Amino acid sequence: MMLSRRVLTKEEESETTENEVTKEDQDKINEFSRLHNRSKALEEELESKKKEKEDLEEITTELELADEDEPIQYKVGDTFYAVKLPIAQKLLETSTGETEEEVTRLEDELSSMKEGMDSLKAHLYARFGRGINLEG
Amino acid sequence: MATKPEEPKSNPRGIPTFPFLPNVTDYVKSQQEVEGTLQRFQEMISKYQFMSQNVERRAAGLREKLPEMRKSLETVKFLRMQKGMSANDTDGDELEDDLDDKSGIIETTFPLQDTLYAHATVDTKNLEEVYLWLGANVMVAYPLDEAEKLLQEKLDKAKESLKAAEEDLEFVRVQTTTLEVATARVHNWDVGEKRKLREQGKLEDKEND
Repeated sequence: MMLSRRVLTKEEESETTENEVTKEDQDKINEFSRLHNRSKALEEELESKKKEKEDLEEITTELELADEDEPIQYKVGDTFYAVKLPIAQKLLETSTGETEEEVTRLEDELSSMKEGMDSLKAHLYARFGRGINLEG
Repeated sequence: MATKPEEPKSNPRGIPTFPFLPNVTDYVKSQQEVEGTLQRFQEMISKYQFMSQNVERRAAGLREKLPEMRKSLETVKFLRMQKGMSANDTDGDELEDDLDDKSGIIETTFPLQDTLYAHATVDTKNLEEVYLWLGANVMVAYPLDEAEKLLQEKLDKAKESLKAAEEDLEFVRVQTTTLEVATARVHNWDVGEKRKLREQGKLEDKEND
């Protein structure tokens, strides 16, 4: 993401504007760059949290079918603890709740970032046309 | 344009700011300076990249340590919960009525080695202490509540350091972006100046790109 340094064709050059970069533009470019990178990291985090949530939901369904008299090997840290079914369900419920909260938080944050990026993009393309490349 | 408060010269952890100057001619006084200035910018970009790599390495180390710390904390919390359930068998909690086992004894399957597990029984009712590895070949016995507090503090501190490292990375990235933009601005200015000279016939008509 930067002001293009490649040589533009005549045609492209006519589509670029002669605007000087102001402090405001620079701040917007920096903010865009920051959001762009941050959103990539968040997307990855969200992906893994969603996977975690799915796994937890799957186990929850699985446990509904479990034998109540058999202890469940529940993993905390690196160790499995033989706990009674209701306890395992309670622990699972807490984890699921926390993960769901996290997923919602990440989704909200990500969507407000996307909004911010879109408005910065619109502004910067309006100012610099093809002289700036904000993709990828 | 209203004068804005001057940018700080560095971020809270002493990484210098690359200043944005409104006029290209504040970076380069004349065309003779273009080459040297661009070279200087490139060197600064390299320096920022070096810093970024160092901070990235530190952040990666922290990211690796965090899950370990979380696991220890979770385990202590779990043990305390188990102990708590064995202790108050008189309060008639609904969930605990379902469970006749108030012995506080819990069967575990724990990793003796990677991929090698063994059974162990933990008597949480009589479990008062856990041993925390503090590093530097020192292990200390802590009462459960203090162990939880200590682990929580360590985890919070590690999270804070990671946040600081991520802020530094963002800061460095902003400086690098400013430098890249400045490079493009100086370059474009140079091209524009050359074109003006060519139009005035003061420069040989040759493409230099």
